[in-house]
Amino acid sequence: MSGQTYKPRSGLARAINTLEETLIALILGLMTLVTFINVVLRYGFNSSFIWGLEVTLILFAWLVILGVSYCVKITAHLGVDAITNMMPAGPRRTVALISAAVCIVYGLLLFKGAWDYWAPFAALQPTEGRWFPMGFTEGVRDRAFYTTDQVPMLGIFRWLEEAINYGDTYDKLPRVIPYAVLPFGTALLLYRFIQAGIGVLNGSRASLIVSHEAEDAVEDVAAMNRGD
Amino acid sequence: MDVALLFALVIGLMLIGVPIAVSLGLSSILFLLAFSDTSLASIAQSFYQAMAGHYTLLAIPFFILASSFMSTGGVAKRIIRFSIACVGHLRGGLAIAGVFACMLFAALSGSSPATVVAIGSIVIAAMRQAGYTKDFAAGVIANAGTLGILIPPSIVMVVYASATDVSVGRMFLAGVIPGIMAGVMLMITIYIMAGIKGMPKGEWHGWGEIWAAFKDAFWGLMLIVIIMVGIYGIPGITGAIFTPTEAAAVASVYAFLVAVFVYRDMGPLATPEGERNHTLLEKPWALVTALVHPDTKKTLFEAGKLTITLMFIIANALILKHVLTDEQIPQQIASAMLAAGLGPVMFLVIVNVILLIGGQFMEPSGLLVIVAPLVFPIAIELGIDPIHLGIIMVVNMEIGMITPPVGLNLFVTSGVAGMPMMRVVKAALPFLAVLFVFLILVTYVPWISTFLPTALMGPEIITN
Amino acid sequence: ACEDGEIVVKFAHVTNTDRHPKGIAASLLQERVNDEMNGTMCMEVYPNSTLYNDDQVLEAMLQGDVQLAAPSLSKFETFTKVFRIFDLPFMFKNIDAVDAFQASDTGEAMKDSMTRRGLQGLEFWHNGMKQFSANKPLIEPTDAAGLKFRVQPSDVLVAQMEALDASPQPMAFSEVYGALQQGVVDGQENTWSNIYGQKFFEVQDGTTETNHGVLDYLVVTSVDWLDSLDPEVRDQFLTILQEVTAERNAAVGQVDMEARQAILDTGAVIRELTPEQRQAWVDAMKPVWEQFEGDVGADNIAAAQEINASM
Ligand code: NA
Ligand code: NA
Repeated sequence: MSGQTYKPRSGLARAINTLEETLIALILGLMTLVTFINVVLRYGFNSSFIWGLEVTLILFAWLVILGVSYCVKITAHLGVDAITNMMPAGPRRTVALISAAVCIVYGLLLFKGAWDYWAPFAALQPTEGRWFPMGFTEGVRDRAFYTTDQVPMLGIFRWLEEAINYGDTYDKLPRVIPYAVLPFGTALLLYRFIQAGIGVLNGSRASLIVSHEAEDAVEDVAAMNRGD
Repeated sequence: MDVALLFALVIGLMLIGVPIAVSLGLSSILFLLAFSDTSLASIAQSFYQAMAGHYTLLAIPFFILASSFMSTGGVAKRIIRFSIACVGHLRGGLAIAGVFACMLFAALSGSSPATVVAIGSIVIAAMRQAGYTKDFAAGVIANAGTLGILIPPSIVMVVYASATDVSVGRMFLAGVIPGIMAGVMLMITIYIMAGIKGMPKGEWHGWGEIWAAFKDAFWGLMLIVIIMVGIYGIPGITGAIFTPTEAAAVASVYAFLVAVFVYRDMGPLATPEGERNHTLLEKPWALVTALVHPDTKKTLFEAGKLTITLMFIIANALILKHVLTDEQIPQQIASAMLAAGLGPVMFLVIVNVILLIGGQFMEPSGLLVIVAPLVFPIAIELGIDPIHLGIIMVVNMEIGMITPPVGLNLFVTSGVAGMPMMRVVKAALPFLAVLFVFLILVTYVPWISTFLPTALMGPEIITN
Repeated sequence: ACEDGEIVVKFAHVTNTDRHPKGIAASLLQERVNDEMNGTMCMEVYPNSTLYNDDQVLEAMLQGDVQLAAPSLSKFETFTKVFRIFDLPFMFKNIDAVDAFQASDTGEAMKDSMTRRGLQGLEFWHNGMKQFSANKPLIEPTDAAGLKFRVQPSDVLVAQMEALDASPQPMAFSEVYGALQQGVVDGQENTWSNIYGQKFFEVQDGTTETNHGVLDYLVVTSVDWLDSLDPEVRDQFLTILQEVTAERNAAVGQVDMEARQAILDTGAVIRELTPEQRQAWVDAMKPVWEQFEGDVGADNIAAAQEINASM
């Protein structure tokens, strides 16, 4: 399956695109290697990296949370287009706009949730309000002390001890690091949804989901399967 | 009532073209904010934990990756050559070989669409050349491709195991007999159709060709052995070596090595079509450059992309599941169904109907994440074997994959065959009937699913 | 379902509701709260990790999304390292010593040790003493050398296995049965009721009665939520919890022995150690104490040993 073909237009867009693609490949490669090495260590050498499982799971979360925005950009997310394809062009554009708006609302809520979840781990304050962020709360106890189970502390993050942990040393990597992907990834997702919405508005894209009937998509898949 | 509203919203959003994942996620969020006190932060937590908290689901990216290396690395075409050598000479032989190749590839790959892509892209073209109609070819492959999730390894089984806490190893074993049965049923159907319609048959190239094709496909087929021996061991000789999740990672590494260093159809040792590939002796540095070669990166990236779109749906389905649990909906449904005096037979019929309808709208893994926790407690209460229930669900998912509007195999087949989706739907219909018969068989004959896991791993224990 | 106006208490745990010691206690608590505090308070129990697992539940509690949980004690190591004392091998002679230690001032202080981080410990719930099982007989500590053991992800338990020259393996709990059966790992440590409940004994050569560690839970709530309750309501709730705790903790020894007997009844092997053999295990594993003395406090170790001596 492939999306509407995405072609970066500017040099910066190309650089970002390469970065995103490389990151996706790299994280999946790392997950595979860590897991494989642990099998080899266990079976061949009767030992293991005790942090291997947890690190792989963190990378898994990063892969998906960082990757969803990229998949919005290239229109790779699955959806039902049977109904919209039966519509004439005008109404079809209207529902595409509605669905873009729906996605933006989703992105906003998810971003607020991600911030509220992550902030206490970073000794920051979550937002006030149930539906909409109405400023920041005060006096929520921080969770900066909260470390991962087994991931070793990395030297480059030692500054966090002074910055957020009252000078207490971390003996494991604090959760603020792996969880940081949530506000970052969801903000990026929101940005891509807005961009997609603008795309629908100015006619540069038809919808937010993979199209199965469009000639170019069929051609795209067929080309992929021929191996070129 | 509230729940009906929730599901109506999910379906409504999907139908206007909102991505499936967003339809599930947004409906859940709105439901949560409106009807409970639980925080928005819990949604973000669920999202993150969908990956980080589900060790079993980790098998998904790895099986997708293994299958990507297998298809780009030339394993598929060798499997097809072997299949044609075995059964190509029968009437309708190329179609039968296509089913056989799908079965073999299914034993390497965890996904149905991947099986269609790998086998279909080659076999459909070959069938057209041999004089089959395009529709017949597409129908055969769309159906046989669904075996990708029934014959182990299987992503959908991984999702079921994760949702219900049954053993992945058991589920994989349970799929072996049904997978072979379904494949054989399809082959017989084709053979009969071929006889009636006078379809072409291929030439018999003799045992020599079978042997040669087998030798060529050997390194690919070895992966089946590695996965099975790795997960289950060989009784009396060796114990198992890894868990099913690890098996998937090992399979990826193995597939990479075979694709790059043995078949050399990709990576630093590959050469343009028709030329002799380089040997490792000529380019020993390939051992290192293979890791960063553009082909490797591209395969990792494509597998990563597929993982992301699939897991986005699963993660949002898990958010929906979290919200339903938070509101104690599964208990309410369970007690309502039990109070209605439901027996096992009636219950299974209802499960089949729910899944068949749900399968029209939803991607299979996402649907399973939502439905399994709803029906699992009732099934246990009614004394239905969890493994049997799992296989029933998988077969339902197979059918869902070749029925519109959301039929992953239809999408992929229409792409591979280059024909409109509705034409693929019509083409797939006769074989769909076979799968329906098969579903009834699997539903009412538990032995088909439970025999192998019980024989090899003892009776299922329910610890919850 | 809860009625309007009732204070909803969500209690998320990870076991079944009717066979596991924790599940039984949770169900009893739910029954009594909903019966005796009807109209004021309403408890909803989410068993089998359906809502949260032990790792996520504490985060959710600090977020205010769940009010009660009972994770195993090693989950609190992130909050305060003192809790590592319960993971140290051979720290407690038996479950009565554990009980006495938890009831002492030291134990009481541990319940309050996390309040600045937002958690209030309420009651300790017992599961029992841990035993070793493996795919070969474990008589001498050297028998464990070279074997792969599944342990909970805790520094102390990792160090404990390394002291035996065994290899500690992290593994999701749901994978353990299959991994033991198929030989991916060789052994594990657990209480009788868990070994029976998860049927680990079926796929092991035998279980050795080492009683080398303790598996207990701490019923915990959020400071903010507890503070938000009216004093009478809070007292009534805490009293019920206390009574349920006393009742179930007193019965847990019996549950443990029933599980042990049930394992024997299936024909599975349980190996008892002579005092000399047991001492060899103690000698092999006790060096771990020094490693973590700084975390748990020398005085706490001394207090635990004093209790052992008085038993
Ligand atoms: Na498969
Ligand atoms: Na469908």
